[in-house]
Amino acid sequence: MKAEYVNSFYQATRDVFNLMLDLETEKESLQLVEGVISRDANVILGVTGDLRGTIMFCFPREMTLEMVKIMSGMAMDEIDSFVSSALGEVANIIGGNALTLLSTNQYSCDIVPPQIFVGDYKSTSMSNEKALLLSLKTSIGSFDLVIYLKEK
Amino acid sequence: MMWKEKYKVGVPIIDEQHEELFNRVSDFIQTVQTKGSWEQKLVKVKETMAFMQEYVVTHFDDEEVYLEKINYPDLQKHKDAHKQFKDAVNNYVKLLDEQGYSEEVVQEFSAKLMTWLIMHVAAMDQKIGHYVNSQGGKNI
Repeated sequence: MKAEYVNSFYQATRDVFNLMLDLETEKESLQLVEGVISRDANVILGVTGDLRGTIMFCFPREMTLEMVKIMSGMAMDEIDSFVSSALGEVANIIGGNALTLLSTNQYSCDIVPPQIFVGDYKSTSMSNEKALLLSLKTSIGSFDLVIYLKEK
Repeated sequence: MMWKEKYKVGVPIIDEQHEELFNRVSDFIQTVQTKGSWEQKLVKVKETMAFMQEYVVTHFDDEEVYLEKINYPDLQKHKDAHKQFKDAVNNYVKLLDEQGYSEEVVQEFSAKLMTWLIMHVAAMDQKIGHYVNSQGGKNI
């Protein structure tokens, strides 16, 4: 996987977290994985076009609730449709921004609408190849950004 | 409250309207998220939703008139973004009218609305302030 794919999604995540959530993100760790263990709230974005694959965001419960509190100004106590939809939309906006960054590197891609799954721990395999798992740290918790992309 | 000082663009007429729009969206979300029976709060949900929806149109129209007045260079792009926003809202309203106001779909809609509004005001609208400043702060 080329650095520009990874950097586009990492940069877009940083920008959107900063803009919408007033949060700074820093890299905690970076590893190649064969499968992903999901967390309490997870968003999957499909990528099509010049690059194909999957981007996945995995968040712990408390962080998810805090993110939505930052945006709405209201305390949240469960991951309901409001919280999961807000989370999915933040991921969707990150995906959109990443595509803009990728297009500056001449990659033309699209994002498939986000799929959100909550509290359903499972191991997701990203086909037979390895994905890149980036653990990111913020002041309200850590989350995973998983990137699996291949050129067409 | 959703409104934050950092969303200000530095043009009072726009900032006042943004604050009002955020307050209306906030009221709508608060009503949707209030604990209690969905049937009992549905009248208030529809009321706050219509109140918010009406102001989306008013504000976008007023903002476009202002942008035309100051010869804003990205006017068409901004108008397109407004149209996309209004279409997305209208599509949800149509869906709700046709399929009924289920709690799940209204929650989904109100959450998306919140993120779209934050993103539009925190990213795109900030460029209006930058442009006005670059012109020496005239037309405020």
